[in-house]
Amino acid sequence: MEVDRELVEAAQAGDRWALEELVRRTHRSVYTCALRLVGNPDDAADVTQDVYLRVVRKLGGFRHEASFATWLNRVTTNVAMSTLKRRTRRFAVEGAAVPADTRDPAPEPAERAEAVALARRLELLVAELPEGQRQVLVLRDVYGQSTEEVANAMGLTPGAVKVRLFRARERLKAELEAAEGGQVVALSGRRRATGRRS
Amino acid sequence: MSCHSIRPLLPARAEELTPLEASMRAEHVAGCSRCAAESAAYSRLGQALAVMAHLEAEPPEGTLERILVVIGRRRTRVTDPRVLAAAGSAGALVATVVVARALRQRRHAQVVPAASWPRRLRLPGLPVPTAALARAK
Repeated sequence: MEVDRELVEAAQAGDRWALEELVRRTHRSVYTCALRLVGNPDDAADVTQDVYLRVVRKLGGFRHEASFATWLNRVTTNVAMSTLKRRTRRFAVEGAAVPADTRDPAPEPAERAEAVALARRLELLVAELPEGQRQVLVLRDVYGQSTEEVANAMGLTPGAVKVRLFRARERLKAELEAAEGGQVVALSGRRRATGRRS
Repeated sequence: MSCHSIRPLLPARAEELTPLEASMRAEHVAGCSRCAAESAAYSRLGQALAVMAHLEAEPPEGTLERILVVIGRRRTRVTDPRVLAAAGSAGALVATVVVARALRQRRHAQVVPAASWPRRLRLPGLPVPTAALARAK
């Protein structure tokens, strides 16, 4: 998500075009984060809309202490968590949480191609995690929020967050290794072949 | 330390461990190839998860348009703090002027002019002349 500070400041000053451009540039990222947290496309689209309503209300108070992307990510997290608290889940995830039509925001350098391919495979596996584990893992490991931030957003203790994180990572690694046919997945372009070649 | 006791520390990121835990893990991993492989796998997993943040899903058709319509309706409110501060200051100034005028008018209407008070009752420390005293004079 690339957002210029000037664009944010223009939107803060009431520039209509700037605000709309801000939405255009960030809505996919917000939707993806929401989808990973709430687990289905319909709720994720609703969350995305609610996020921007909140952004319109709160943008004036944004002080550029963190990046706009970080701030927007926190807003998305809070809205998604509020939505989840309000609603009982309408249907099980069953793969629906997978952003099936993922697109890369920019062309990837060659050395990152494998990392991106692995990330796409991981997306499927993350979607299959139990909801509590998935949310903690997404916030902490995908979006880089601190344990305390995750705990606050989810109404958990930091200890509970660590337990869920541990379980999620352990499970994900095991499932990833199983999916890779017993290979230890490496991002460096080389794999320690312990099973079949993929 | 045994592999069994180090195992719970392997999935953690370095900043999630206490210095003692971090040094215990590092020391064990340095001498245990199996735990070193596990640790490396978790590290790679962490890198791949971070890459996920850059992947984007395409929202359902019409999502962007709906957002733009909805925020267009709500955006009539002023959100710029500078504008809000200026509006607040102007409001406070107007309120101050109005209150000051009202108080001045009230004082003029109620207070007996000092010139009409009996001279002897205007000494400090003496009670304020009442209307009855003024009339008696």
